[in-house]
Amino acid sequence: MKPVKFSTFFFTLLVGLIFQLYPWSNAGIIVRPDFLLVIMLYWLLQAPYHCNIGWVWFAGLLVDLSTGSLLGQHALTFAITAFLGLIYQRRLVLFNRWQLYLYVLFLFGVERGLILLLKLFAGGELPDWTYAFPIVSDLILWQFMIIWFGELTRPKKL
Amino acid sequence: MLKGIHQQLDPQESPAFFIQGPKPFSRLMFFCTLSLVMMAVDARFDYLSQVRQWFSTALHPLEVIASAPNEWGRNINTYFTSHNQLIQDNFKLKQQALIDHAALQRLATVDAENAHLRTLLAGDAPIIPEATLGEVMHMGRDPFSNIITLNRGSHHHITPGQAVVDEQGVVGQITRVYPFTSEVTLITDKKLSIPIQIERNQLRAIAFGEGKRNTLDIPYLPTSVDIKVGDKLVTSGIDGVYPAGLAVAIVTQIKQSQDSPFAKIISRPIAGVNNHKHVLILKVPDSPATNPMSESRPMLQRNNAQHLDQSVVDVLQKNNALVDPNPVTTPPVLDAGQPPDTEMTAQPDSAVPTDPVAPPTPPTTPERR
Repeated sequence: MKPVKFSTFFFTLLVGLIFQLYPWSNAGIIVRPDFLLVIMLYWLLQAPYHCNIGWVWFAGLLVDLSTGSLLGQHALTFAITAFLGLIYQRRLVLFNRWQLYLYVLFLFGVERGLILLLKLFAGGELPDWTYAFPIVSDLILWQFMIIWFGELTRPKKL
Repeated sequence: MLKGIHQQLDPQESPAFFIQGPKPFSRLMFFCTLSLVMMAVDARFDYLSQVRQWFSTALHPLEVIASAPNEWGRNINTYFTSHNQLIQDNFKLKQQALIDHAALQRLATVDAENAHLRTLLAGDAPIIPEATLGEVMHMGRDPFSNIITLNRGSHHHITPGQAVVDEQGVVGQITRVYPFTSEVTLITDKKLSIPIQIERNQLRAIAFGEGKRNTLDIPYLPTSVDIKVGDKLVTSGIDGVYPAGLAVAIVTQIKQSQDSPFAKIISRPIAGVNNHKHVLILKVPDSPATNPMSESRPMLQRNNAQHLDQSVVDVLQKNNALVDPNPVTTPPVLDAGQPPDTEMTAQPDSAVPTDPVAPPTPPTTPERR
């Protein structure tokens, strides 16, 4: 399989950002996936030669700026999530579909959990159970990414 | 076998130490440190607000693109509003206009009379807040905080700290200003407090937001306090941000427990933030902010409310006709330079004409902001 073009990667980042900036209404906010996180994680595993932890961190920074939250908190959690994805990248591409779902679900959960932790440290209030909803919509978006840009590429047998 | 150059350089197949640069862990450490530093700087100092401004300006085109479908949807919706609906609305509005006109005629007389009486008594002139019409662009993107975004920013001379109201009551306060947009923290946010007064008996207190439950809490009031379910809370105006007499909330629940000396008073905001598209951004009256005494500006609650109404009318007229015979931009500001002692002595006198029940004002109340 040909390596992914950088322009494809950059374009999806831009589209993800636009979706992130879309004025989500009340119910939309609850189910809205973390667009940039899913897109960046996909590219991190699919094309680690384009997308590294720095890019994911930058995407987190964009989320911070667009949500007006404390600068760096999404960046931090995105970077940690990316790290957890990247250290197993070579194994993950060999996983079958369900194993992969389980692992990315874990990653999305980690990101949500870390954000929650940071918010609680900053004196936030414990949200209700709908807070975990986006993990599911993240997975749906992940499936869309798989449909549009293909399954994770397995390395060729040497 | 001849290989294409792209196949030779296929990065996926090269060994990890050739392609990856720094190890993931060192990258992680670097970016973690960077973001922790940024968080600390952002939370404690003000250096990064400029960066935020730049990024916000850079993101503005994308934001416009992102909200375009919503805008189209709204326009299409407006276009297909039924004929019947329009006629009904028109009828209703005409009736309302008639009622308002009658009230306005009375208001002008009362206004003049009030100004005259105030001059006679050497009292403060009422504050007529300048107002800007803003449009709600969207609710906040962060489900944790109660923030809405307006389409007015520093280009429209909006500054942080301005009060935001709709036609029913107080919505919140501007907390962050970007070049073309600004963020409003709603009164239901945990971080926002608002000095209030019970309309029925003029009792002063401070209401705090309760986070995401869309309620306000009035703590530190003793169980014996005279407050009932259904009482209307209005702004007291002692903070110098919100003009006095704006509706804030209605008391919905009072809980008294044996072990606490304070009553737990829950109220529901009156302003419907979710229902309206337009809000008014009020200008903070100029006052020597360093002097806490000046914040206890004595003013007539009713009068100020009326003057606000006047300014609302003015702004709407300005927006409708772009002609403004009596501009709101030059309010008779007599309050700015006055020493606090004259204000304090002037208060009981100035309270006489329309509002004899107003109790003497305590200078300030401790306030969390």
